[in-house]
Amino acid sequence: MSLHEILFYFLSLMALVCALGVILSRNPVKSVLFLIATFFAISGHYVLMNAQFLAVVNIIVYAGAIMVLFLFVIMLMNLNADAEPQKSRLVQFAAVLSGGALFLVMIAALKTAGIHAEESKIDSSGEIGLIHNLGQVLFKEYVLPFEVSSVLFLSAMIGAMVIGKKEEARTEA
Amino acid sequence: MKPLIASAVFGVIMMFAALSVKEKKTFTLLATLLLVLLTGVNIYELMHIMNGEIPEALFNGMLKYGSFSIWFNTLMTGIALLYVLLCGKHIEKVGQHTGEYYGLIFFILCGANLLSGYNNLLILFLGIEIISIPQYILAGSDKRNLKSSEASLKYFLMGAFSTGILLMGIALLYGAMHTFDVSQFNFMEHNVDAMSLGGIFFIMVALGFKVSAAPMHFWTPDVYDGAPTPFTAIMATIVKAAIFVAFLRLFSETFGGISQHWTLVLSIVTALTLFVGNITAVFQQSVKRMLAYSSIAQAGFMLFAVLAVNATGFKGIIIYAVAYSVATIGMFAVLMKLKDYTYDGFNGLGRKHPLLAFTATIFLLSLAGIPLTGGFFAKYFVLTAVMEQGTGMMWLVIFALLMAAISAYYYFKVLMAMYFKKGEPELAIEVTTGDRFFLGLAAAAIIVIGVAPDILLAWLKN
Repeated sequence: MSLHEILFYFLSLMALVCALGVILSRNPVKSVLFLIATFFAISGHYVLMNAQFLAVVNIIVYAGAIMVLFLFVIMLMNLNADAEPQKSRLVQFAAVLSGGALFLVMIAALKTAGIHAEESKIDSSGEIGLIHNLGQVLFKEYVLPFEVSSVLFLSAMIGAMVIGKKEEARTEA
Repeated sequence: MKPLIASAVFGVIMMFAALSVKEKKTFTLLATLLLVLLTGVNIYELMHIMNGEIPEALFNGMLKYGSFSIWFNTLMTGIALLYVLLCGKHIEKVGQHTGEYYGLIFFILCGANLLSGYNNLLILFLGIEIISIPQYILAGSDKRNLKSSEASLKYFLMGAFSTGILLMGIALLYGAMHTFDVSQFNFMEHNVDAMSLGGIFFIMVALGFKVSAAPMHFWTPDVYDGAPTPFTAIMATIVKAAIFVAFLRLFSETFGGISQHWTLVLSIVTALTLFVGNITAVFQQSVKRMLAYSSIAQAGFMLFAVLAVNATGFKGIIIYAVAYSVATIGMFAVLMKLKDYTYDGFNGLGRKHPLLAFTATIFLLSLAGIPLTGGFFAKYFVLTAVMEQGTGMMWLVIFALLMAAISAYYYFKVLMAMYFKKGEPELAIEVTTGDRFFLGLAAAAIIVIGVAPDILLAWLKN
């Protein structure tokens, strides 16, 4: 077994265990910490696949910014076992049933995906994830989505301003 | 391409105007002016197409405008213009950021433009998000009103969740097709497997959420009821129509070849939407909430255009979008003039303000689909489109006609209140000559579509 393989199995095991920890742990703060560990494991996978940029962005954006937000929200809401909403048996049953059905479909989808795995190898040199190539693709092929997303962020920024700004007493009414 | 850039730039102009302009009326004036310009740009683009210029795919096949998409955009900017003329005064009253609200409306038009011209799933996603995020903000713009904040938060959380489902669907389709470019989708080469079907159903659920199709409709009444009324008017009309065009283009053009795999699910969704929307609308006490449920019911009819998978469906969605949008915006404009949003608030309106009552009558008749109004031909076209595909959908068409009959009941309840009940309706805002003129114009437009629907189709090539 090469070092690469050992690393792969180690990271996969870590990702799976931590992902299970996210949904199995009772304490929401622990869940979030498990989720951060999962993100690190996945970032490790990205590095193994020679996608350093993706690995770094994954850590900065997800493990950094978004998870901190998560932690803040959970701590502010002060969740504990008493606050957990009670669900009726029927709802639980329906949720399990529909979730299980979806799970079956996803399993079936993954099963067929395995066949295509060989042909979908895009770049055998393994340099697809490097920043240089990413920039080339982003500013040549995907320049329109890149620019258009600025409108999206602009409207989100206006939203943050409009909603967050303190409003003086209204003149009328 | 030019209308897309123009709508984004005009939105930025409105934002900057908010820095220097103090008078709220000036915003409405500026927005009207810019919308006239935007409509002009769209017509200019349309003329090029009509003169035989063949539209090219732009940016490596990211966008592809045909006569359908540009004509749809022209109509939507025209309707947005009518909307600002009718509701401008009410938008000024909502909050203190009138300039930003108008800017967001321009961004919504930008998103609508992307949705009508997308040729790549990435652009579809961005278009839907550009339409959605301004809506979350507009829904919560009345910050002192608890219901408005609730609507905004609810819409944001549910909308973000449905966006996740949309992305999941796009990812699965990418896995199956190895491309985002919808014109390169080939369901023959790659067999229709669980992965692509899963993707299609995820996308169907997400788009169904955005157009408030049952059973993904639960947010609609609360959001439409809680949001400030002028913004409910745009959410229920232009936004819904734009997302329907994306829905129609994706399912007719891209997934049309494998329609046997998804029509059953979509027809059940359609039947549920019609049923839930119409039956629940009957029990509402507030006209605003009734209009929210009616918009669910109307979405059920628009789903017929998607189900049809043929050219008549495209014609149907154009007529339906225009007839429904004009009637709904008009009805909301009348509603906003009143103090009391319940049915009782309409009591005696026919005697006191005959013009308001008369235009409202035309809008409601059109929504119910009575002949000689635009709504009749709208329903006629979408139902014919499905009938052309054979008799397999007959049960759904008959069910839809039954539901249309039920819808007449709650629309006519408003008419009854206006003409046959005595009361002193209180106005929240004075009705000016301008209001009368534009309400009359909207009503006239509906009659014209009802008499000669072909004028809307003359601009479509093949």
